[in-house]
Order: sequence, then C-alpha cells, then structure tokens
Amino acid sequence: MSQSTCSKPNQMASGRHETLLAEIERVSSTGGFCWHVATGNMTCTDEVYRIFDLEATVPVTLPLIRTRIHAEDLPFLDDMLERASAQASGFEYQLRLRTETVKYLLLSARRRDDADDQALYIGAIQDVTRRRLSEEALGTVRCELARLARVSSLGALTASIAHEVNQPLAGIMTNASTCLEMLASDPPDLDGARETSRRTIRDTERACEVIARLRALFGKRGGKTESLDLNGAAREVIALSSSDLHRRRVTLHTEFADDLPSVTGDRVQLQQVILNLLLNAAEAMSAVEDRPRRLLIRTEPDAADQVRLSVQDTGVGFESHDAPRLFEPFYTTKSGGMGIGLSVSRSIIESHSGRLWAEHHAGPGATFAFSIPARGSERSAHNLSAAPALADTEHLMRRA
Amino acid sequence: MADATLVSIVDDDESMQQSLPDLVSKFGFAVRTFTSAEEFLASDCIGQTKCMILDVAMPGMSGPDLKRELTRRGQTIPIIFVTGQPDQDLRRELLAEGAVECLFKPFSATVLRRALDTALKKVKRG
Repeated sequence: MSQSTCSKPNQMASGRHETLLAEIERVSSTGGFCWHVATGNMTCTDEVYRIFDLEATVPVTLPLIRTRIHAEDLPFLDDMLERASAQASGFEYQLRLRTETVKYLLLSARRRDDADDQALYIGAIQDVTRRRLSEEALGTVRCELARLARVSSLGALTASIAHEVNQPLAGIMTNASTCLEMLASDPPDLDGARETSRRTIRDTERACEVIARLRALFGKRGGKTESLDLNGAAREVIALSSSDLHRRRVTLHTEFADDLPSVTGDRVQLQQVILNLLLNAAEAMSAVEDRPRRLLIRTEPDAADQVRLSVQDTGVGFESHDAPRLFEPFYTTKSGGMGIGLSVSRSIIESHSGRLWAEHHAGPGATFAFSIPARGSERSAHNLSAAPALADTEHLMRRA
Repeated sequence: MADATLVSIVDDDESMQQSLPDLVSKFGFAVRTFTSAEEFLASDCIGQTKCMILDVAMPGMSGPDLKRELTRRGQTIPIIFVTGQPDQDLRRELLAEGAVECLFKPFSATVLRRALDTALKKVKRG
C-alpha cells in the first residue's frame, strides 16, 4: 500500500493498541474508512464489514456499497460522489441499509489530500439503528401522550361542547316547528315560513361549524408541520371554549398583535397547548368570588425572531417554591387533574424549539406564556416529534 | 293583541332570540325578548309578565340568579327554564325551588306548549 493511497488504519497501531481500537470500534458500533476518490480504492476497518454484512475477504468498492444502500437513500450516495469529485472539504449523511433488518447509519468524512494532491476522504460510519429506533419509539409515545392530554381536555370541555351544539339544535327545532305552524295557518304565512327556513339552515351551519372545529382539534393526527398564524389558531380555540369560559363566569379579553409574524409548527399541537393554558387559567379562577375572573390572551412579537403568546388570569396563582414543579409530569393541584397538561404542553413547545414558562404576579393570579421562533428564523421548528430523524436527513444533506 | 297574555323570553343565544318569539306568538301569546337578566330587570315588563322562558347560563346574572332576585322583590312569575346543558341534577334542583319546568335544548314545540299551559294554569290558580 503506497503513501498515495490509504494505509489500513488497523495497521497504524500495533499490539495492544490495535486490540484496544478494535474493541472501541465494536463498543461504539463505529467503523473507519479511507477513500481515494481518483482510484476508487477503499480501505475499511472490521466494524465497517460487520455493519455492511460483508465477507471479510472481499475488497470494499463503491459498487458493492451501493448494493447495500436502501433504494430510497441512493440519491444521497450519488450526492456524496458528486461532492467528493467537487473536492468538498467534508460531508455528513444519514443512510439506511437494506440488510436483513433496516440499519440506520451516520456517515461523516473529511478530505485530506495525499502527497500527490489527490483527494482522500477519511471518515467514520456509525450504526445508529438502536438510537434511531428508540427516538422513533419516544416520538410515538410523545404523540400518544399528547393525544391523551387532548382527550382529557375534551372531557373537561364536554359540557361546553354539548352547550355549543344544543344551542343551534334548539334553534333548528324551534324554527322548523314555527315554519309548520306558519304553513298551517289560514292563509299560510309564506314569508314567515321562508324566513324560518332560512334560519333553520343558518343554525344547521352553525352546528356543523362546531363539529368541524371539534374534529380539527380532537381528531387523531399529529406531527404535521405547516406555516400558521398564531392569532388565527388562538381564535379557533377561543371559539370552542368560549361557552365553557362563559359558564364559569370568566370574562375573556384578547390583545392580538396585528403584525404578528407567522410560525412553523403543528397547528393541532399548538392549539392543544393554548387550550390547556386557557382551561388551567379558568380552573385557577373557579373559587374566586371577590374579584372579576379575568382572562387575558395576548400575542406579540418577542425578542430574537420569536413570537410570544401569554395567558394571564386573576386566579389563585402559585407559590413561588412550586414554580419548578409546575411542569413536572403528574404534578397537579387540581382534584380532578392528571397533571400531564403542562408537562405535555412544555414538551410540545420544546419540540417547536420554543420555551414555556410561568410568571408569578405581585397581584392575584399568574401568567403562563410560551414563545416559539417565527417562520424563517434560524431555529424555526424542523424536528417535530412524529419523524424527528427522518426530517433531519435533508437538513444534514445540505450541511457539508 | 294588547290583552294577550305576555310571555317574556330571556336568553343570550342569538338563535333562541330569533326563533322562540315567533313560535310563542304563534301559540297566541304576546312576547317580549331580552338578551340578559339585567335587561329584563331594567324593563317595565316585570309587572305584566305572566310567564317567563328563562335561559340558565348567561354572562353576568344567570337564570337562577334572576329567579332569586324576582322572589326577593316579591314577584312570583312562573318560570320555564331552558338550558343547553343536559344536567339532571340541576333540573331537579330548579324544579324543587319552584320552577314550572326545565327544558333541555333542543326541545319540541309540543313540550314547550305543554309547559306554557302548565305555567299559565298556575297563574290562574294563584
């Protein structure tokens, strides 16, 4: 093996060193390689052979590697070749192998020119399958927990929903009865019948809107990222919970910034957070009799390309020594609460690269607020829970 | 219609405010509609009202609050409660406190008619 190509890494060390390096490779599931672009010559350590399921005696070549790569990820390999021939200083890819079970690899390499100024890439290939699978499992659990929290807030809203639907239904019933009466009179009151029929249709539309809002908020889906207006998302939540707030004698005030930048995120998940903060605030005021039960929802642009939404109440507030525990799972001060609302909310906001916090008031009540990056800002959400690492693939591909 | 029996409706819901008066007047009653308990209390209709159709949950003063206020003022207008919350416990409570009826929305014209008849019989007896 000449200086102009790769020296086998394992030969560089000797004796105890060699054994130690081999051991480390196995423990970390990381293999090393050296790739001479011009000749196509590749030298790999034992772990690479193991990862790719290759016979130890076979020389590793790009065409051989290609046969092992998952068909959907072949474009990444082509991209890598392109970069290498353009003498990129380095690259990093996430690749899947189509071995017996799918393996997930992280490949990173750096260029180091040889004596003849020929491009040489030295790199590492790590088998990250176990980490990927546990990330996926975690994502699934997080989605499911978020759904459970939604269902539990659905329970809290049941009375409100019945009320919201029964109002237009009562209108439909009454208008239809009146219409029949008008048609039965002698002579029939046709103008009146027309008007009551029109009202019947309008009330039906009103009932349908309630159902559509419910489906949007509580249907089983998640992990869908889109560009959205936080004011609009908050308004939909308010429309659904207003009669509940109303019933609890809570007066709702809104201060929405007109020029609020849009954000990137999962609409349903963010609405769930807003709903949760609203219901918590209403709950915190349920025993308040000596002052108005006032709830203020405010949106505003925040520092550093962030958008902030805050919910302020005049409720019982919280003791400052409880502040750190508020967001812990299963911590609750409510008799009927599960104590997962705030912890799920925080996990949702963090998956949007944002922050959720509580503010203590000098006066009565508390403020809960979150801020998330505005759309297009550097930290804008790209790693939502549903498919964290897959979404990253493209991101990684563009790095180099 | 000046001599027709006056039924006052108090409900904050727009669908009810529009649909109920037409139906009740088809039954042959005079109707006044109010969007809140406060509006009714401020009106000159209290004395003439022979029966009330009263929503339970309203912002500000609730239906039961208004009933208590009327009792405090010595008014004994028969009251038919209507509510969008199908809550049986609440219904029992309201009936125990002397309401003529508590109807869950949506209710049919027939049950409303029956409740109105019961309420007005009560007036005659009283």
